[in-house]
Amino acid sequence: MRFSAVLALIFLVLSVLIPSLAEAHGERAQQPALRMRTVEWFDVSVSTKQLQVNDILVVKGSFVPSNYWPEHVHSIEGASYLNIGVPGPTFVRLDSRINGTPGIRSTAFHKGELYNFEITLKARKPGKYHIHPLINVESAGPVIGPGIWVEVTGSEAQFTNTAKTLLGQTVDMEHYNFGHTVAWSALWMLIAAAWIVYWLFSRRPLIVPRFKRVSELGQDADAILTPTDRRLGLLFLIITLSVTMGGYLYANDRWPITTPLQTGKVHTPPAVQAPMPLEVTMGEARYRIPGRSFRIELTVSNKSDRPLSIGEFSAGNLRFINSKVLDIKPTDEDDLVAPDALRVEGSPIPAGETRKLVIYADDAMWETQRMTTMIASPDAVIAGMLFFYDDQGKRYYAEIGGPMIPVFG
Amino acid sequence: MTAAVPNDTAVTTTAEQRRSYLQFDMLIIPLVVLLFMGIFSFHFALLVGDWDYWIDWRDRRWWPLVTPLAITVLPAVFGYLLWDKLRLPLGGTLTIFCLSLAAWISRYLNFHLLANFPMDMVFPSSYVGLGLLLDCMLLLTRSWFFTGLIGAFLVGLLIYPMNWPILAQYHVPVEMDGILMTVADVFGFEYVRTSIPEYLRIIEQSTLRTFGEAVTPLTAVFAGFINIINYWFWIWIGSLGVKAIWIRKIV
Repeated sequence: MRFSAVLALIFLVLSVLIPSLAEAHGERAQQPALRMRTVEWFDVSVSTKQLQVNDILVVKGSFVPSNYWPEHVHSIEGASYLNIGVPGPTFVRLDSRINGTPGIRSTAFHKGELYNFEITLKARKPGKYHIHPLINVESAGPVIGPGIWVEVTGSEAQFTNTAKTLLGQTVDMEHYNFGHTVAWSALWMLIAAAWIVYWLFSRRPLIVPRFKRVSELGQDADAILTPTDRRLGLLFLIITLSVTMGGYLYANDRWPITTPLQTGKVHTPPAVQAPMPLEVTMGEARYRIPGRSFRIELTVSNKSDRPLSIGEFSAGNLRFINSKVLDIKPTDEDDLVAPDALRVEGSPIPAGETRKLVIYADDAMWETQRMTTMIASPDAVIAGMLFFYDDQGKRYYAEIGGPMIPVFG
Repeated sequence: MTAAVPNDTAVTTTAEQRRSYLQFDMLIIPLVVLLFMGIFSFHFALLVGDWDYWIDWRDRRWWPLVTPLAITVLPAVFGYLLWDKLRLPLGGTLTIFCLSLAAWISRYLNFHLLANFPMDMVFPSSYVGLGLLLDCMLLLTRSWFFTGLIGAFLVGLLIYPMNWPILAQYHVPVEMDGILMTVADVFGFEYVRTSIPEYLRIIEQSTLRTFGEAVTPLTAVFAGFINIINYWFWIWIGSLGVKAIWIRKIV
């Protein structure tokens, strides 16, 4: 018993003294169905992976809200907001655009439409950060995109961030009139402290004698209050009302032009998508749990005038690459790219033909990224994005989705 | 020579009795302060939360309506105890002072040092004057009815003007990407909050849209009236608490 207690104590102390570094944003904790069937992210990139405090970082990419959005999850077509997953304000966001529309306010994204985004950040605090684009969906939560490691060096003390008001003042966002705020708050605290000190410390001892006296006086307990007490009450009431009114008039005089907080929802037009010269239908999809292998049957109609090959299958931010078509390597240790994990039977599809294909996405990532819990989904439907390439390297994409059957043996 | 204390206790002289009473004060008062800091912080975090955490949440409709209703609860409950048992008009000032103290400590340690937000975005509002209003009114009227009618009404009415000296500067207009914003809105956009998207803010959502631009005075008067009932209700709860046997045993 005592040994267990000592062990528990040691564990507690060690867990406090040796905290593990929180390096991710819980993306693996999200339900696979949520990751696969909400937002299809692609081409996410950063302008640089090494930067100094005050340097600019641009995060770019594209996304298509899934046509297979789960019925049990609130839709992205309600209220949503393009955000950036960084550990707090380690960066400040200077600009955010979706298809050229400023992403300052909330908006709505439509299923099956293409959105190209660009978020401009300014490094504020040194450190190594896993940066994700993400979309907050009202009543559904954050839908997180692929993460990329970025390292910021330099000194936080050197960080500057200013804004210019419509009245021509330049505002230091890091310390905006903070002395004024502290002084005003301190004034109130001092007034209150004076009141508290008078009642708690001008009569010593206080609690027991006063309790006894109030109990003795019963209905006449007000007699314990002195004329000085009442005069002080009146004085503090006048001070409180005077400071409130005086402060209000002072503020109106110092900042005569103000506007209410601004809010609203903007319309973000989808990008114009080039017509995709192909049609893809998903047939049977079986996930073999012991082999970490996804087998998907497809029917593909190639309506272009060039042969098409499947180069990539992307699902829940995991990218399975067909190495016969593409040469893509992970950019860092947490880049979820499996460079040679997509096997395609029946490819390429000749121009103008319709073919049945089978793809195999086999990789341990299904397990390590906790996607195998997809069998616990309430509707057992999966979705993903297929990327096709013609013999000249031109890319086309199509989303597939449908029921999934697990294979346990 | 000190007089003997006519009690069958370990305290045998009035000097010892006085010393023991002082020691009791020195033990209880800091504990009560810590208790108020803890209780009020949780209470306020649950009922007001983001409205007080972020400068871009303190709007002119909801913040001045929600906050007085939440901030009146503990001053009323503990105010009843302190007045009924000790005739101390301290419930409002002491509890809100403790809340403010805890809020400043928390904003500095948690929001600024740990989460990296600049203090000028997350500082707590000034509420302690509201407690003074309640306590002074109670002392002067010695009536729960009139303290509620006048004091609690003033709490709802004056919360916005009391904070305007620190809020006004954040309502100066700014243009960003062709959109009109305030300095507070710019804080909300630039200093990234991953889990607090723009749509979560409850800004200007209500039906009080009569009387042209007089949004804030209307909200303030409405908050004042609601707060009268609110105060009386929590005073009643406080009176039930004081009557409770377990409280009597402790006191």
